[in-house]
Amino acid sequence: MEIVVCVKPVPEADTRLRATADGRGLDPENVKFVLAGYDESAVEQALLLKEAVPGSKVRVVSTGPAPRTEEVLRAAIALGCDEAIWAEAPAETVADPVAAARRLAVAVRAVPHDLVLCGKQAGDDESGLVAGALGELLEIPDFGFVTDLRWDAASARFRFRRAAEAGTEHWECATPVVIGLQQAWNDPRTAKLPAILKSRKAPIARSPAPSLPDDAPRSVPERFSLPAPRTGAKMIEYKTPEDAATQLVRILREEAKVFP
Amino acid sequence: MPDFSLTPEQESLRDAARKFARTEMAPHAAECDRTGRFPEEVYRKAYDLGLMNLNVPTEHGGSGLGLFEQCLIVEELAHGCGGMTTSIIANCLALEPIILGGSPEQQTRLLDPFCAQYQLASFCLTEPSGGSDAGGLSTRARRSGDEYVLDGEKCFITNAPHASLYTVFATIDPALHHRGITAFAVPRSTPGVTPGPDEDKMGHRASSTSTVRFEGARVPVANRLGPEGEGFSLAMRTLDQTRTPIGALATGIAQAALDHAAKYALERRTFGKPIGEHQAIQIKLANMAQAVRAARLLTWYSAWTIAGGAKGTLESSIAKCFASDTALHVADEAIQTFGGYGYMRAYPVEKLLRDAKLTQIYEGANEIQRTVIARELLREYA
Repeated sequence: MEIVVCVKPVPEADTRLRATADGRGLDPENVKFVLAGYDESAVEQALLLKEAVPGSKVRVVSTGPAPRTEEVLRAAIALGCDEAIWAEAPAETVADPVAAARRLAVAVRAVPHDLVLCGKQAGDDESGLVAGALGELLEIPDFGFVTDLRWDAASARFRFRRAAEAGTEHWECATPVVIGLQQAWNDPRTAKLPAILKSRKAPIARSPAPSLPDDAPRSVPERFSLPAPRTGAKMIEYKTPEDAATQLVRILREEAKVFP
Repeated sequence: MPDFSLTPEQESLRDAARKFARTEMAPHAAECDRTGRFPEEVYRKAYDLGLMNLNVPTEHGGSGLGLFEQCLIVEELAHGCGGMTTSIIANCLALEPIILGGSPEQQTRLLDPFCAQYQLASFCLTEPSGGSDAGGLSTRARRSGDEYVLDGEKCFITNAPHASLYTVFATIDPALHHRGITAFAVPRSTPGVTPGPDEDKMGHRASSTSTVRFEGARVPVANRLGPEGEGFSLAMRTLDQTRTPIGALATGIAQAALDHAAKYALERRTFGKPIGEHQAIQIKLANMAQAVRAARLLTWYSAWTIAGGAKGTLESSIAKCFASDTALHVADEAIQTFGGYGYMRAYPVEKLLRDAKLTQIYEGANEIQRTVIARELLREYA
């Protein structure tokens, strides 16, 4: 099975974030970029399928500026992906999910693909648009919010579930297909030291940019602001646990009006 | 121009160790410290990721890392838990005599099957009658045909109750003093080899330490590491390699203490402002930060010197001694920054002090390190 996983570099979870001087985006200075949590699950899923279906190959694709994009491609190689493809792009293009999908689509079209896997959304902008846009651009079916993805060799179809508001949908689908995966239902593996060292030397193929005007971002972020520091926490001063509980009940009832 | 920047490879290794320390070690550190539990599941995972046999060449199944890379990893691990780190890197110490002194045949026969699965090894040098006076050890090795018969007792042996392989230093004749010492690789399964019960320690409580008794233990001559009488030199060359990572381990404990103290200084308020705005605490933090960085740089310098092919006895002794003294001092100052809370077991800093203390004692007590430093130093002036 020919599998392509699309991954995005996102700021590490406990990074201290700042806006750029022009106030339009996130300042990448001193920010450590890692494989998005959703994408870790997508890579894990690709590797599980590769292990289950002999002769499979996993290619990992990412788009964005250096060095962050190269870093996440190498992280995916260290986890066990076979080949890495980099669709180089300036940072401002990455802020437009459809522009990113166009670059990824060029790379995916150039290689065999029975399955294109993405995290259902990125861990930073959480737009969740890339999987859908990729399906449209590649003119193949696409599904988001997918869990329990399995390959049924007998019928040569994927079987999976989607958690929808009204209930759980059960699907089957022929190849090729784009799948946006839910996060962390498959317990992503951790890279081993020898694989990490080997990944540093792995070749990274370049994918060309789409021809203009396709590559021009259609949307430009206007302003980026960090959440205001939370205020309004109330510390209860107490002498005994009973005293603390009495005060808490009074605050919940009279001030927060959580219950009558 | 000296360059203090890390290569992308080194950064990746450090990041992997940092992630492991944060997600797999730190969450269990307080519980293992309280109960003295040996968290085998953590050590198995460390093995699976290649964090355990760091110094063993890749052709024998290890991670094959240089000393500098080992130090980067060990500092990160120690930030998660000093005791667990001691158990994780004990294999490096125990296997180093085989790497340095074993024949190619011995390396293949002993290291390959050992590294092919999760297993622990212990370095058996110290004896109840003395550790620093390694030349005067009393465990006997008597030649009997194509075997040696080992009799004696070792103590304070890291991982001994859980180890499957011991590297043992014994004397063929006590009258020869250090020229009689000979090294052996001894499988735990050898009849007459008995580890004692786990010691109840002040710190490093997630690690396991015990005596190992040898009573008529028959070891084939094929398991002798190097010639008879060369064991003392082999032990010293081993410690020249493994001393620097102890500096890194101590630096990791010190960095953890500084991190806790600085975060607390921003949160804790007295006299209407965070204590980090009081000059007394600022001076404390500034001094702690200086010491931690100096410890790291001395460790890096030692690792860089040895990785470049030098013996590095002076540099590694300075790094180990300074970093371990720093760890104790910085942990002490972190407790003082926390005030009464710092003395409570519910807070993480008193553990760091207890863990730091051992780094001044093991792998060559700091008194011995200072003796070595002075000796090497005066040689330069003589």
